[in-house]
Amino acid sequence: MLKVDQAWVKKIADLARLDLSDEEMKKFTNQFEEMMKYVDAISDAKVDGVEPMIHPYEMELLLRDDVPDAPFVDSEGKPKVLQSAPETLYEGYKVPPIL
Amino acid sequence: MNQNHSIAKLQKDFIAKKLSSTELTKDYFKKIKASKTNAYLALCEERALKQAKTADEIIARDGERSFEKQPLLGIPLGIKDVLTMDGVVTTCGSKMLENYVPPFTATAVIRLENAGAVSLGKLNMDEFAMGSSNENSAFGPVIHPTHPDRVPGGSSGGSATSVGADLCVASLGTDTGGSIRLPASFTGIVGLKPTYGRISRYGLIAFASSLDQIGPMTKNVDDAARLLQVMSGADEMDATCAPNSVGNYLGKLKDKWSWSGVRIGIPKEYFVDGMQMEVEASVRESLKKLESLGAKLVDISLPHSKYAVATYYLVSASEASSNLARFDGVRYGVRPQSAVEAPDPMSFYKRVRANFGPEVKRRILLGTFALASGYYDAYYKRACQVRRLMKNDFDEAFKSVDLIASAVGPTTAFKFGEKSSNPLQAYLMDILTIPASLAGLPGISVPCGVDAEKLPIGIQFLAPHFEEERLLQAAHSFETEVYHAI
Repeated sequence: MLKVDQAWVKKIADLARLDLSDEEMKKFTNQFEEMMKYVDAISDAKVDGVEPMIHPYEMELLLRDDVPDAPFVDSEGKPKVLQSAPETLYEGYKVPPIL
Repeated sequence: MNQNHSIAKLQKDFIAKKLSSTELTKDYFKKIKASKTNAYLALCEERALKQAKTADEIIARDGERSFEKQPLLGIPLGIKDVLTMDGVVTTCGSKMLENYVPPFTATAVIRLENAGAVSLGKLNMDEFAMGSSNENSAFGPVIHPTHPDRVPGGSSGGSATSVGADLCVASLGTDTGGSIRLPASFTGIVGLKPTYGRISRYGLIAFASSLDQIGPMTKNVDDAARLLQVMSGADEMDATCAPNSVGNYLGKLKDKWSWSGVRIGIPKEYFVDGMQMEVEASVRESLKKLESLGAKLVDISLPHSKYAVATYYLVSASEASSNLARFDGVRYGVRPQSAVEAPDPMSFYKRVRANFGPEVKRRILLGTFALASGYYDAYYKRACQVRRLMKNDFDEAFKSVDLIASAVGPTTAFKFGEKSSNPLQAYLMDILTIPASLAGLPGISVPCGVDAEKLPIGIQFLAPHFEEERLLQAAHSFETEVYHAI
């Protein structure tokens, strides 16, 4: 059985790029202890030789030809994908300096 | 519920000039604005009134014929806020996306609008569709349409209340583990989760890509068939949208359905501990009535059901942790000032992602864990193996039955706050809907009774993959010959 403690939750939170407050850390640790007991129930399922199912059923994936569609642009011809960008510069995304 | 506001009846009224789509649309906006249910997050008044006006013009010109080309002409619908609409803020019930304006429209919505539907606005939901009560919305909970102290169910809570309180004719919801069927059951409406792949997911903001499916939430089965008919079928924008031919869902409802010889499987595992007595009694009574109409009730076993909730939470959380990694504050979503001032990229991401609510954080953590090196085999991979065993259970069962029936939720709508302090208790609300989601099967929730407090109870029917015709025919017959006949 996995040991759930605050150090473990912190490690997972770092991997997920989540910052947890002290209060969240305490609460989630308790909740995870209970949840892990519950999900650990699958450890007694007999799965030897069973192919994992990552999709509801085996389906043929339909691929379209690799031809670009008309771009999403507004009435002034500017790319619409930029309309929700937190910050833009010319026709690109702007991010804070990281170095 | 205003049964007069069924699609067929409204279109008759349009033709008879008793009502215009514009009048109906304006009336809905009036009701929505006066409503205290918090069902809508955004209204598209300009777009809707333009669509209604166009519909009225076409109906005035072409009469009945206009519905042949556009079967939903003039019908006002509500859209769950997880589906994108070009130029309309789409929040997913999250602070993270409170200012997100998508540049494109979801295929399902395009098809409804092309069929003449009027889009009234965007419906409240649990954040990123994670929840069973709609208490996880960043924009406040949705109120049950008839019992203000109760939740409407989730995650499509706004979709359920808007139909139950007649704040639209019908709505779109999405179902990952029960998010259409449970709220439909809680609010006494019809909720259909089609087969995985029946409706394109293009424009559906992903929670768990191998489970998410769009479906109609309606006042009756006939309306559900009408919406499904329009939305179904292959879409080159979604490689997982099935090429299987689209059935004649609406036409088949007109055929006489006989229960004689129909084999209904009753899974012994689905009458679970802690199930509300009235729910069990109502479902059993409904089944008895079907038996008296000639159906054959068959006891079946779905032995891996006991793993359903654990399997679902591992699989869906894993997919969610991957899907929600895209919310990094670079291309869209909220970038708080604290993130702009972050000293390094790690802090930047963490400060952006502080916008997620607690349930979303919990599931990202669970999924990150299940996919992490050292745990992957014991959790994610094992859950996928159990998922196959569960699907095999259904395949085996459907060799000897035509439909499977059960309750939808173990209880009727609960009170606000009753389950929110304990996530595991909340997760267990989905115990009867999750197995079909994992197997990708179609399922429908239809009202079958009420409890002592007049809270609705729903019965769930499941059918094999792509057997929506059968599912809708059976549900329609149940609704008209059994439930409304009580």
